[in-house]
Amino acid sequence: MGKVKIKKKETRIDMTAMSDVTVLLLTFFMLTSTFLQKEPVQVITPPSVSEEKVPVANLLSVLVSPEGKVYLEVLGSQDSTDNKKFGSENVRAHMLQNMAEQYNALHPGANISFTKEELAKFSKLNAFGVPITAMKQWLNMETEDRDKALQQKDAGIPINMNEDPNKPNEFQMWVRAAYNSIDPELQEAILKGTGIAIKADQTTPYSVVNVVMDNLQTIKFNKFTLMTALKSEEE
Amino acid sequence: MAIKSKSRQKKFDTRIDFTPMVDMNMLLITFFMLCTTMIKSQTLQIALPTNEKVEKEEQNKVKQSEAVTIIIDGKIVEKNGVQTSDPTEGMLYYYDGMPEIDNLAQGESNMKQIEFGAKTGGAYPAIREILQERNKEVVLKVADLKKQWKEQAFSKDEKKNDSIFQAKRKQAMNDSTLKRPVVIIKATPNASYANVVSVLDEMQINSINRYQIDRINDVDSAMMIMLQGKNLKK
Repeated sequence: MGKVKIKKKETRIDMTAMSDVTVLLLTFFMLTSTFLQKEPVQVITPPSVSEEKVPVANLLSVLVSPEGKVYLEVLGSQDSTDNKKFGSENVRAHMLQNMAEQYNALHPGANISFTKEELAKFSKLNAFGVPITAMKQWLNMETEDRDKALQQKDAGIPINMNEDPNKPNEFQMWVRAAYNSIDPELQEAILKGTGIAIKADQTTPYSVVNVVMDNLQTIKFNKFTLMTALKSEEE
Repeated sequence: MAIKSKSRQKKFDTRIDFTPMVDMNMLLITFFMLCTTMIKSQTLQIALPTNEKVEKEEQNKVKQSEAVTIIIDGKIVEKNGVQTSDPTEGMLYYYDGMPEIDNLAQGESNMKQIEFGAKTGGAYPAIREILQERNKEVVLKVADLKKQWKEQAFSKDEKKNDSIFQAKRKQAMNDSTLKRPVVIIKATPNASYANVVSVLDEMQINSINRYQIDRINDVDSAMMIMLQGKNLKK
C-alpha cells in the first residue's frame, strides 16, 4: 500500500499570546485600582459641573443617609510609611482618644476610655457611626454584626440643631477630634475647606443636609465641600 | 550512521498549555474590574458665613440693587418609609433687592416663580437666563476670554494658555468696576439636595462669585405662600 501519510492537523491554539494580554490587563487593573470602600449606606451624589476631584488623603467625609443618620470616614495622609506623615490608622486612633476626652470633660461622671486593642480595631475601620457610649460595645462585635449594627435604627452619630459651640453635640465633637488629631496635614486641609466633605443622596431633603451644615457652621468650620458626580454641561 | 538513525528519539513537546492560566487571569481581571472605582467623585467647594450676629449684620449690607434672592422649594415624597425629596418636582422663587411686601395681603410682591426644570430657548434651565441677565457684564467678558482661550491667544503653550485664562477669568469675576449680582440662596426644608447643588452649579456656570447660602425667614415664606395662593386662584 502507498506510504501516504496524512499530516495530523494541530487543533490546539497557542494560548501564550492570550496569556500575555491577560497578564498585562491584570497588572493594569491591580495598579490602578482603589477598592470600593464598604459604606453603611449607598448614596447617589447629585450631579454638578465642578471638576475638582475628591482628595484621596486628609479627608473627613460626612456620609448623610436620607433619614438623617450621620456616619464619618477619616483618611489621614496617604503615605503611612513616611515617619513624618500620619497614616489613616494613626489619625483614627488619636481621634477616638480625643473624642473620649472631650466627651468625658463635657459630661461629668462619664468615664469613657478605650483599650489598646479597641483603638487598634477602630483604626482599621473605614466608616463608623454609633453614639460614643455604645462605641466600646460596637468595637467588640464581630465584623458582620458591626456592619449590621450600623444599619439599625438607632445607629448614626447623634446630631441635633445646636448653636452653642460650648456645648457641642457628638457630631461636633467628632469633627473637632478630627481637627485635633495629630496630623497637621489633615488640620490644614480642614482649615482650607478641602478637608471636610459632605456626601448625601440627591433625593435627601435639604432640611437633613442643613442640620449637618449648620452644625459645622456653629463650630466655625464653615468651609467645606460637597461631594458630587460629574455632569457634562455644554456652555 | 546506521546507529544514529536507529536511536531516533521522539521529539518532546516543550510547549506548555496556557489555557488554564488564561482562565485564571480572566477570573482575576473580572474580580478587579468589579471591585474598583474608576470614576472618582467630584467636589464642590462652598463657604458659609459664620453665624455670629455681628458679622451677619455686616454681610446684610449688600447693595440692594445687586441682590438677588433665590428660594428653592421641593416636594416631599415617601419612598420605602423614608421621606425623600423629588428633584424633578422642584420650584424656584426669586426676587431682586429687598422684599416688597406693601401689598402682600392682596398677594402682590416682587417675588416670581419658575418651575425648576423649566427650560428657555435652547436647553438651558430658566434660572440660568435670569442669572445671566443680572451678571451680563461679567458673562460677556468671560465669554470673550474664552474665545481668546480657544484661539490660544494668550500663549501657544496649552498649559500656559489654560492658566492665563483661569487667572483672567478670576480677575473678571472679581472686577468691582463691573455690575455683579450678589446671590442669596435659600432653601426650604422640602427642597432636594440635588436642586440646591444645581443652583450652586449655576453660580459657577454664570461666573458669579458673590453668593451665599442663608436660612429662609418669615418674610420669604409669607411671600411664597401668598404667591402660591394667587397662582391657585388663577
